[in-house]
Amino acid sequence: MTDFRIIPGDIPLPLPTMGLEFMEPFFHGLLIVAWVVHILFINVLLGASLASVYFNSKGHKEKNPIFDRVAYLLTTPVTISENMGALWGVAPLLLVSILLTPLFYSSSIMISPHWLHIIYGNVVAFLLSYLYKYTWHTLEHRKTLHIFIGMVGVALFYTLPWAFMANVQLAMTPSTWTYTTHFWDALLRADTFFRLVHFYLATFAVTGVFMLVYGMYKRKSDNAEDREAGVVLTRTGKTWFIIPTVLNFFVGPLVLFSFPDYGIEAFFENGYFWGIILTVALALFALYLLLKDFFNDDLHAKRVWTVVAVMIIAILSMASLRHGMRMGLVKPVLDASHAKTELFQRESLAAFEEAKNAPATPIATQADVKPGQALAEKHGCLACHNADIKVVGPAYKEVAAKGYTADQIVELVKTPKPENWPGYMPMQPMPQVPAEDVKQIAEWINSLK
Amino acid sequence: MFDYPIFEMPFIGHRLLFAFDAILHVFISHGAAVGGSIILVLSQWLAIKNNDQKLDQLSYKILFTFFILATAVGALTGIGIWIHINIINPAAIGALLRVFFWKWFIEWIVFNAEMILLLWLFLIWKKHPLGTQGKKKVFNLVLSYAVASWLTMAIITAILGFMMTPGNWLKSYFPAEPDYVAALFNPSWIPSLGFRTFWSIAWAAAMAMLLTWFFTKKDLELRQQAMRLYGTVLLVCIPFFVLFGAWYYAQFPQAAKDLFWMGAITRRLAAHPEYATYLIVALSSMVLIGAVSLYTKPKHAPVFLAVMMLIGSMGLIGEFERVREFVRKPYIIYDYMYANGVRVADVPYLNKTGYLKHAAFVPPDFREVNEQNKLVAGKYLYQMQCRYCHTTNGINSVKARTAGLSEEAIYIRIGSLNSAATPFMPPFTGTDAERKALAAYLASLATHDKPALAYQKQLDEVKK
Repeated sequence: MTDFRIIPGDIPLPLPTMGLEFMEPFFHGLLIVAWVVHILFINVLLGASLASVYFNSKGHKEKNPIFDRVAYLLTTPVTISENMGALWGVAPLLLVSILLTPLFYSSSIMISPHWLHIIYGNVVAFLLSYLYKYTWHTLEHRKTLHIFIGMVGVALFYTLPWAFMANVQLAMTPSTWTYTTHFWDALLRADTFFRLVHFYLATFAVTGVFMLVYGMYKRKSDNAEDREAGVVLTRTGKTWFIIPTVLNFFVGPLVLFSFPDYGIEAFFENGYFWGIILTVALALFALYLLLKDFFNDDLHAKRVWTVVAVMIIAILSMASLRHGMRMGLVKPVLDASHAKTELFQRESLAAFEEAKNAPATPIATQADVKPGQALAEKHGCLACHNADIKVVGPAYKEVAAKGYTADQIVELVKTPKPENWPGYMPMQPMPQVPAEDVKQIAEWINSLK
Repeated sequence: MFDYPIFEMPFIGHRLLFAFDAILHVFISHGAAVGGSIILVLSQWLAIKNNDQKLDQLSYKILFTFFILATAVGALTGIGIWIHINIINPAAIGALLRVFFWKWFIEWIVFNAEMILLLWLFLIWKKHPLGTQGKKKVFNLVLSYAVASWLTMAIITAILGFMMTPGNWLKSYFPAEPDYVAALFNPSWIPSLGFRTFWSIAWAAAMAMLLTWFFTKKDLELRQQAMRLYGTVLLVCIPFFVLFGAWYYAQFPQAAKDLFWMGAITRRLAAHPEYATYLIVALSSMVLIGAVSLYTKPKHAPVFLAVMMLIGSMGLIGEFERVREFVRKPYIIYDYMYANGVRVADVPYLNKTGYLKHAAFVPPDFREVNEQNKLVAGKYLYQMQCRYCHTTNGINSVKARTAGLSEEAIYIRIGSLNSAATPFMPPFTGTDAERKALAAYLASLATHDKPALAYQKQLDEVKK
């Protein structure tokens, strides 16, 4: 059994299942689906924004307006997928926050402040992508600058998955946590590295499939330039899908076997490897479909939609087996966390009841306490003053040494004179304390001489 | 909070880190999205009714600005509020998510509708110019977008209201049994929603007036028309949000009302509550003078007045959010959880058994205080209980707060944090030995070199 050094506690409030049995499995199903939608949008965002900058510079270099058109057409899916990608990231965040609270929150904190990059880095990249899109015609004759703006935005977008991957990878491997784990530890690990490689390759493959669909529509356009752009998109889409998908057949096993042993064991014991076999078979089928028509620029709609459907099933299968792996990895810690939280709550409640039922021992009931002292306690004077030593304000002994009358003290409590006590923090006026009480407090102070 | 690792934000501290993101979000979500969409509905309705091409084009330009701001900055900083509080106060956001999951889930669905409508609207606007049949479709999209934007705010406001006035939401502490309906219909939800709705519209009108100034440099007639329109909206909203504001204030717990003036300025100036009045009067005058002069003399008023009005509005909004956050202290969820993530009901247990004992991310060597480890243990306690509001030597630093105090004085002070002198501070939670350790650490901050060495030595020794 793996030894977990750190078991964080959970939030001591129930899961919001509304008392329905099926709600927890539903949460898990929803998490898988929402996460897939999120990742697909992010894939298209990363792929299409890079492709846009690539075709923009290619068009500029080769003086070919068709490539420029392709680049411009690709900015629309960028705008849509950056907005929808962020939006569909919220649902997984919401679900992970209640299902894996102790793990996900802990890993988020461990990789902070870098975790904040997904907000601030994203805002800047977003603004750059808008600048790139909406200055297309204004900067027509300053292409180098325009391409540079696009490149900086794309580069920034490509750094965002580092924070995500480090966080997710750390959250699902609590056996690797130490008391000092931080962002770079998590990012520079073999498992995180292979997952990032797998992710970037999948980004190109997904964008490839997207280009097939987008190209198919553009090939039917009324505009001749768009029809030619559609052909470029179809050709690029095929290459972008085929090469990364083949490479990922080799990276995939590296990802799987870089997980901790107990996770891999749980993975095989629970039969999730069938998911891998299904995913690989479907991806091979999609490859076969596209290779068969590799030199056909007029790819038929039926063929395109078959590839899309096959890949959606492949991705859902992969997402489910990944979720199985994740749960296998976190279950022991999650169970221990729940048990620990329950014990804490039980004991804490006992202590709370005990404190509530214990006879109150206010300072005023003790024989040697003067009424003035009790009032000083009640009105919060003792937060800053002590009878014998300097706390925030001067010791009451020193105040007594000044020989103020009770009336003077009443006045000073209402309007303190900081100039009398150089070197101390100025006292706050306390007009809310009744004069009668201050007089008794003054009596006690002056008795301290 | 003891269940999580420690992330310390040096110098600026957690409050400012969070405030930066949150206030940016409020400016943009309330202005460009919620209020902005309502302004847009009005402009479009008038443009269609009067077949006014110029007003239609102006509203597209304003929509474009709002679109960029709302999608790139507003939406992301909104998610950012979560991300920030995830790492700053996980116990609090964790509790809020458990209680408000379904409301948040519905909010996400509405947020989807809002974003899709905005993207759709933006992508088809130019395809359906004024006078064509399709313009009606555009107007319906604008209207639905406004409704969706407002609904997202309505739901989030319920959560903010809950934090201040949770009402009777916890039926049983263990096993915990929240009353979800009571949490939603907490006393300050409706008044604060009315308050936010009207100032959002007013604030969006102010933003639209500034934008109008820039977009109508060559058309003073259009400027006059648009300034009058948005100026009317702004001035009409003022009495409404003042009224809702008063109703909202009436829902505050008494302790929160008592902190109002201190929240309105800073603690240092607490002796002069009149400064807060001056500040609010000054900011309000900036808004009113700007709005009234742009309204009465739109063709001659300089852009300076529009900028001044905007700065005044931002000041008032920032001031409101600051006060709202401040007066909730010492709690983050009133009567349930202190600002530093300690649940009120856990205090007796933690005082009895020790705070560090339960700290999962503190190495076991420091979970029991002794002479050898007390500086390091004290630092852990500082990081888990104090750094929510304090830094070591930046903003609101504990070093400045304890300057000139002896270790014993600090020890005494720690015992009465939540008292009449500083009612906004949560109490220290932990055993007497832990209180001494914290005092030792805080006292060691006063001098530069020696304590740092002593601290490092302790750390090295225990690590061995």
